[in-house]
Amino acid sequence: MEFSPITQFIVDQNVPAQTMALLLLLPVVATLASFFRQVVGIKAFGIYTPSIITFALLAFDPNGLKYGIAIFASVIVIGMVTRYVLRRFRLLYLPRVAITLSVISFSMLGILVIGGAYHRTGLAGVSIFPLLIMITITEKFVALQLEKGTQAALLLAAETLGISLVGYALISWPSFVLFILAYPWTVLLTIPLNVLLGKWTGLRLTEYVRFLNVLRQK
Amino acid sequence: MFELLRNSREVLGMNARNLDYVRPLNRRRSREFADNKLLAKRLLRKNGLPVPGLVARIRNHAELDTFDWDSLPGSFALKPNRGFGGEGILIVYGRRRGRTDAWVKANGSVVTVDDLKAHIRNILDGSYSLTNTPDIAFFEERLKLLKLFKPYAYKGIPDIRVIVFNKVPVMAMLRLPTRESDGKANLQQGAIGLGIDLATGTTTSAVVGKSFIIEYVPKTRLALSGIRIPYWNEILRIAVESQSVSGLGFLGADIAIDRDRGPVLLELNARPGLSIQIANLTGLKGRLDRVKGLKVKTTERGILLGKNLFGGEIEEEIEELSGKRVIGSVEKVRLFGKDGKEIVVEAKIDTGADSTSIDIDLARDLGYGKTVDGYLEAAKDWDEISELTRTERWKMFEHIQDVVATIPIKSASGTTYRVAIRTEIEVDGLRIPARATIIDRSGLEYPMIIGRKSLARFLVDVTKRTNTGSSPAKR
Repeated sequence: MEFSPITQFIVDQNVPAQTMALLLLLPVVATLASFFRQVVGIKAFGIYTPSIITFALLAFDPNGLKYGIAIFASVIVIGMVTRYVLRRFRLLYLPRVAITLSVISFSMLGILVIGGAYHRTGLAGVSIFPLLIMITITEKFVALQLEKGTQAALLLAAETLGISLVGYALISWPSFVLFILAYPWTVLLTIPLNVLLGKWTGLRLTEYVRFLNVLRQK
Repeated sequence: MFELLRNSREVLGMNARNLDYVRPLNRRRSREFADNKLLAKRLLRKNGLPVPGLVARIRNHAELDTFDWDSLPGSFALKPNRGFGGEGILIVYGRRRGRTDAWVKANGSVVTVDDLKAHIRNILDGSYSLTNTPDIAFFEERLKLLKLFKPYAYKGIPDIRVIVFNKVPVMAMLRLPTRESDGKANLQQGAIGLGIDLATGTTTSAVVGKSFIIEYVPKTRLALSGIRIPYWNEILRIAVESQSVSGLGFLGADIAIDRDRGPVLLELNARPGLSIQIANLTGLKGRLDRVKGLKVKTTERGILLGKNLFGGEIEEEIEELSGKRVIGSVEKVRLFGKDGKEIVVEAKIDTGADSTSIDIDLARDLGYGKTVDGYLEAAKDWDEISELTRTERWKMFEHIQDVVATIPIKSASGTTYRVAIRTEIEVDGLRIPARATIIDRSGLEYPMIIGRKSLARFLVDVTKRTNTGSSPAKR
């Protein structure tokens, strides 16, 4: 597939094609998250977290799924355990989150060391930023846990991971990326699409399930 | 399938709620009013609406350090000013015995001044506020549970959510705290939601959790449908007037009933939850559409509209749902006495009375003459007596024929005892066994009253006319 003249022009200005692809894919992923919220009814942690995790997963490639999911899960589990341990100390919110972040950082370091000892350096080899992104979702998680309880927070975490996985599947699909690079203007379509989503007042798919008993009434 | 799609136009979803109702109708200033409990409390009170009394408030850490803990009453509710979803509320029920610096919670655990301080620090730091911004903590008087709700509510206080739109109450729900909700009347936290017939204030269907339909109080055989909420008109009036005061076009008013004060407005919600539709098994959107554009001038008119549009038809509905019969406040009743004697009388249906009782003469006519004589004989020596134990009073009456129980009747002047016989009565075509106490009702309009113990299978509609057939039943 040929690059479009626009793409060619941008690449000629010394913008790496990789960077350009990522910037063009971000609106797509964000639209995906808003679609999941408004039409399907999957809430997740807002729009930032699923989007950023999608790109974190991409950065873990070639083992994106394996490492990404493992790290996501361990961050959540360690975050939960830490909260449980810290509860009795009755700390204020920010210091408590700071301690949780520290514990997770140490754990990640531990995981990297253990992986290295078993000659699994794939994880240690990746850039630190996707790892840091994964760690900082803890704050979202802890805040939600405090607000809505552990069960609800876990559900939202799972939903976040779900949306990120769909996003990951889309942007790690070579044909799709090539398509975007060939026709970059198609990304602009996300704006009218989001306008439609923003005006959408129909029931969400999950609401059909939630209100099934009401809908069944004659 | 087609039905589901057609009905989906009646149901209000999150998208439509936010876009069509909350956003255009609840302007920012009004929303602020709903989110700021202290501000709302002050304004509502100024406009003559009943709100829980404010005990004290703590606005910052400096005030916390100098707070006089002895000034707190034995029971109170500690709340964050900008809390939501019932989070961050701490309720104590009394001082711990012999201590002025410790209180007891509903589950029996002790709350010390240090616990309160830690909780208040969390509130001040915004742990429970909508946007995690610094908040104010305040103490409020604790409401007392209405007797009627005692069997239904686990610890906390049930409250009534009324959705008001365009001055018309469109849907209402009674929320019962449960063990799962830790005594909080919040559906998200596991409370039970009961749909309410707007015309009569009688509960219809019930939901627990996200969308699980139930019929009985968990682990009991206590039916959830057919609970008649007292002060119903007053509750609707408070809900509608709170809309005018707050300026919220689409409002969820939370109203609790205090044992002493009656209905009290707890909270206003600018973004009322959607589960109320499941509790009522009815879509909210259909109702909102019917009220839209109506010109409603007065509160009374709005209440009347809500009642007429979204109430009624309850009789059949309830009979269908609960298997209960709807009867009037006076019903023709057939009594079955000894030796096949049958008498039809008009009885007063009295939900304020515990037991069923019949007049002395009526008891004689039914063949219980000996019982009556025995009772009068045993009772002739006393006007009132102090309380006896169950065995002691049973000894006084057990020799009398046909007596199955004795029932203490307390009044201002002291305690007396009545005897009860076992009989059968037929109400609205339904024959039920009943225990009836015998008493002199010669000066009263009806020779018989039917109390709550005999009414388990009935619901009482005070507006229903009794079908007083041909027989002159009134005595």
